[in-house]
Amino acid sequence: MQAESGKNFNNNYHILIVDDDQEILTLLSSWLSKEGFNVSTAMSGEQALAEIVGKKHNLVITDLYMNGMSGMQLLTAIHSGNPLFPVIMLSGQAQIADAIKATHLGCSAFLTKPIEQSELINQVMQVLRLSKNSEAGDGFAKNVLYRSKLMADLLELAESVADSNVTVFISGATGTGKEIIAKAIHDGSSRADHPFIAVNCGAIPEHLLESELFGHEKGAFTGASTRHEGLFMAANGGTLFLDEIGDMPLNLQVKLLRVLQDLEVRPVGSTRNYPIDVRIISATHKDLEKAVHEGEFREDLFYRLKVVPLHMPTLSERCDDIPLLADHFLRQYAEHNHKIIKYFAPAAIEYLMTAAWPGNVRQLINVVDLCATLCRTNVIPLSIVKKALQDRPIEIKTLKEVKQECEKNYLVSVLRISSGHVANAARIAGRNRTEFYKLLGQHSLDPSDYRHK
Amino acid sequence: MSLEKIIVNIDPDLEELIPGFLENRIKDIQILEKAAGQQDFAALKSVGHSLKGVGGGYGFAKITELGAGIEASAKENDLERINQLISDLADYLQRIEVKFQ
Repeated sequence: MQAESGKNFNNNYHILIVDDDQEILTLLSSWLSKEGFNVSTAMSGEQALAEIVGKKHNLVITDLYMNGMSGMQLLTAIHSGNPLFPVIMLSGQAQIADAIKATHLGCSAFLTKPIEQSELINQVMQVLRLSKNSEAGDGFAKNVLYRSKLMADLLELAESVADSNVTVFISGATGTGKEIIAKAIHDGSSRADHPFIAVNCGAIPEHLLESELFGHEKGAFTGASTRHEGLFMAANGGTLFLDEIGDMPLNLQVKLLRVLQDLEVRPVGSTRNYPIDVRIISATHKDLEKAVHEGEFREDLFYRLKVVPLHMPTLSERCDDIPLLADHFLRQYAEHNHKIIKYFAPAAIEYLMTAAWPGNVRQLINVVDLCATLCRTNVIPLSIVKKALQDRPIEIKTLKEVKQECEKNYLVSVLRISSGHVANAARIAGRNRTEFYKLLGQHSLDPSDYRHK
Repeated sequence: MSLEKIIVNIDPDLEELIPGFLENRIKDIQILEKAAGQQDFAALKSVGHSLKGVGGGYGFAKITELGAGIEASAKENDLERINQLISDLADYLQRIEVKFQ
């Protein structure tokens, strides 16, 4: 059974129990309500179908033999709308043939009466993926969805270091959720009431990064018209997440190392140091050990940051989590766009689980959104998933990149036409020779490559 | 027939449900006796089946056991055994003392 916090989470789940025996209904309702679930009941399959229309049930538990519509017929009717809807079947007879048929029809579990309380609760937890190994909402890292062993191990380690000041270093490919783990560590620490500030060291121009991090005094440099506090000071008492630390320039690495050693910052242009109390979590997708080896990253800083290393698995390494994540992103899509929740067909889920996912969870979100947008029915078939994965929108290039590419293609065609004769090529392009040579140089083009040999 | 009490420990969460549950079992005895008198094996089987399903869940494993016995005997048209089981059930229901703990 779950801890209290888990039970509170269970009230997000609505369970419909169907049985023509009132006493069974009362008993099962009592057990499930005690675990915190929202429970409703129906005394026949027909009543159950009327009940679930337009409501957000997460699970139906039904008796197999009932007057009128049987449990099997109810299962089939529910699955005609949503083949993945979880249904647990109960039967007074332990008949293998029924169990096989029910499983074949897609029921999630088959239990025989008399049912034990713990057996029912365990099955419900398992079907709703709330069991101990797969739960979301269990205090620490409650935003992280997983059922894979890899993630369970990782989060266990993260949780064990969360409530300390120890410096954590997170490695892993782009889109694996490094910042989410960093935030979970912050939220699980005594610093949770103080700020969590994330900064992407690769996204800020080198000359600005220093004043962004450490702050600057008024007039410290041209344009410094006001005093700037800096992110270290802003995160005081909390956590500073330095993402893409591998992109930090060497001269700043020295300054960062000094801050970590002295626990003081000196803003640019200032004559005094300010004490800081900030926990550092850093992350990179780069192989930092290799960067250290090649002299691009300071070894002393590397060891200072990497007190506790955490490695984020790629999405394909944790493919067990894909059904859970895909389902979650579909719900999120439906919520954001005020649409009915759609579901992946079983074959579609299997396909998602075996795909390569170079863009990891971030790519999965995009593919799920695309599928939900493309699909006109409630159940997303395999064909749509295949399409979404193949027609993955090409990353949109910046205007500068497009211009560069276009310019290069143009220069190449002009060189071909003029057979590598620069004066002619320059005339065609409407530029003088000097300018034209400069352009060729920018694109690393050699006119001799275009001369007839 | 002994008059010694049988103590049954039941989950306190079910306390509200138990009096109604036991009343229904007394009614079941009447239904079973009537069905046995009419040799209505289908009815005997059905009541036995539901006793089997419901007893253990409420904490009365013995009711499940007796219900299963009635169901099985009804399939074999074994009236003698059924009468014995009905009387065992009546005896059991008279002697139980429920403790919620």
